[in-house]
Amino acid sequence: MLSRRDFFLSCGGAGCALAAGVSAGSVLLPARGAFAAQAPRAYPARFWKKLPNKRIECELCPKHCKVEDRERGFCGVRENRDGEYVTLVWGQPCAVHVDPIEKKPLFHFRPGSRAFSIATAGCNLECKCCQNWDISQSKPEDVDFRFMPPEEVVRSAKEYDACVTFTYSEPIVFLEYAIDTAKAARKAGVRATMVTGGSGEAEPMKEVLKYLDAVKVDLKGFTEDYYRRMCKGKLEPVLKTLEVIRASGVWLELVHLCVPGQNDSEPEILAMCRWVKTHLGADVPVHFTRFHPEYQMKNVAPTPNATLVRCREIGLAEGLRFVYTGNVPGLAGENTSCPKCGKVVVARRGFELEELHIKAGRCAFCGTTIPGVWS
Amino acid sequence: MVASKTEAGRVQLPAGKPRVVVVRTKKALLKNGHDAGYDADCGALRAMLDAGLVALSGQKDASAALAKYFHPGERVGLKINGLAGRKAATHVELVDELSILLGKANIEGRQQIVFDRFARDLTASGFGGQLRRYRCVGNDEAGHEEDLVQMASSASRLSRVLTTQVDAVLNLPILKQHMLAGMTGALKNNFGCIHNPNKMHLDGCDPYIAEVNAVPAIRDKQRLVIMDALRPVVDNGPAYQPGMGEVANVLIFATDLVAADTIGLGILEELRAKRGLPTLARAGMAPSYLATASKMGLGVSDRAGIDTVTIEV
Repeated sequence: MLSRRDFFLSCGGAGCALAAGVSAGSVLLPARGAFAAQAPRAYPARFWKKLPNKRIECELCPKHCKVEDRERGFCGVRENRDGEYVTLVWGQPCAVHVDPIEKKPLFHFRPGSRAFSIATAGCNLECKCCQNWDISQSKPEDVDFRFMPPEEVVRSAKEYDACVTFTYSEPIVFLEYAIDTAKAARKAGVRATMVTGGSGEAEPMKEVLKYLDAVKVDLKGFTEDYYRRMCKGKLEPVLKTLEVIRASGVWLELVHLCVPGQNDSEPEILAMCRWVKTHLGADVPVHFTRFHPEYQMKNVAPTPNATLVRCREIGLAEGLRFVYTGNVPGLAGENTSCPKCGKVVVARRGFELEELHIKAGRCAFCGTTIPGVWS
Repeated sequence: MVASKTEAGRVQLPAGKPRVVVVRTKKALLKNGHDAGYDADCGALRAMLDAGLVALSGQKDASAALAKYFHPGERVGLKINGLAGRKAATHVELVDELSILLGKANIEGRQQIVFDRFARDLTASGFGGQLRRYRCVGNDEAGHEEDLVQMASSASRLSRVLTTQVDAVLNLPILKQHMLAGMTGALKNNFGCIHNPNKMHLDGCDPYIAEVNAVPAIRDKQRLVIMDALRPVVDNGPAYQPGMGEVANVLIFATDLVAADTIGLGILEELRAKRGLPTLARAGMAPSYLATASKMGLGVSDRAGIDTVTIEV
């Protein structure tokens, strides 16, 4: 009989990974159809209120969906059942992988470590360039999933000496599961991290942040027009979430996926970098990553390297201390340099850690503190 | 003018004004004192179907009319709206009567497929658990295509019922006010052909409803609309709310989905006015997607451009 670890490895595929898609660079990869089709189980949802006539209003994210009896919200994973709101994804991940932490990307969080990564179906945005659209834009019954309660997630993460990471789709839509899992992880001494679009309400975010060790937020653009047109979302709530995360003290990194002609203009990048420095501080790492044609944007070419380099230059010129390029292995901008002595303290290539010169959170060459979670 | 069939069987919109037939009767629903509150009178429904189909098609009787829209041997999808359950769904009695007429038009029962998003909605609206002459399939049972259909504002996977089990669609919406879209009729009923309608309810469903209806795999199978306006939901829809159903005893027949909805909207507004409710526009819920659909060439949303025929039976 296969052990759980053997099972994961037997259906795994480690590929040359460029993008942060589900299958890229993963150690384990449950194939579509690996789990029998089944009806999702329902669990009580949190963060909602009752309205007259059995309607409910979801308070999890800024969309505040008003949901009729027997209907679901925008995310497709939370359902009104006779005036009570339930989640159909608690404990039911459809993607379970072990990734390098650099894939998230979290560059200032335990370099070279692993992330036991889980995702459920559903998302509260619909980004035209989504790399994981086949799960993020699906309902629970449209995907293969397995039942994996929080304790099992934590046990598996421990087995791989990994942190637990909520990622790929949008953890905010499975927040009850994420909170319970992160809580169990904290109890077991396992770190927990989240990769999110940040489109959540403050109270639910504060609740999950109590149990998280790091968060990476996709700041997808810096105009309301981009969020509305390309993501069916809004920018302003994301900015609020970023401030909430920063105020919580949980380690934060940002990714900006540069979509050619859509969100990569110099004024937009400049405005974004200025906002980050003013509202979040110069120590928050910002990653400018390459877009790959996916989902509804297969007709757009990948981001030119020159764009990423230029974005990085703008960020550094604005005073951000840790600005990276991503999704292009070998392009300048993957390494972490000490802001004081300028020496490379973390050398990377793609998702691989090549050198680490940080001791007790300080540059091994000059002793300057390098912000992040290093042990 | 009425629609005509091309060689491929697809109905082509006529060059002139599209015809919409509104059939009214005095009593198509009978109070039953329990459950759904009303039972439909099959005799009255049959008379309405006969009158509406003949007036729309110009044929001598209802089965000849249906034969104009559907080839013998074709598999016909009857797209109902069962979301709100028995009290505010397309009436099962209407579908039963239509099924008999389709049989007479050489569309056998096994080639008649009633479908909607979820099997549970079919059951809840009276289409499950009984031996019927037609098949009932939920999209959740049949699944959706793996490949995405790209639209300007979104992308969807199509119901496999639509793509693999039916050759033509008979669109059978129920007329309802809708808090997000303004109204739900024939155009919005086709949200039941995609996997992600939850992503399409922003901005009054505009332009999503129009874009979904412009998808060739959906658009090209639409042959006929029979809108159930026997007891529309006039406010607080689309779910059923006690007291929000208004008996109107109306069926609407058309081949132009936009025109059918436009006339349906007029009836909905009349019923709302009778109750002292504001117009949908005043309530901030005007179904702007009708004009968008018209601009996209899907039909006519200007009442003056519609040949409306009203028949009392």
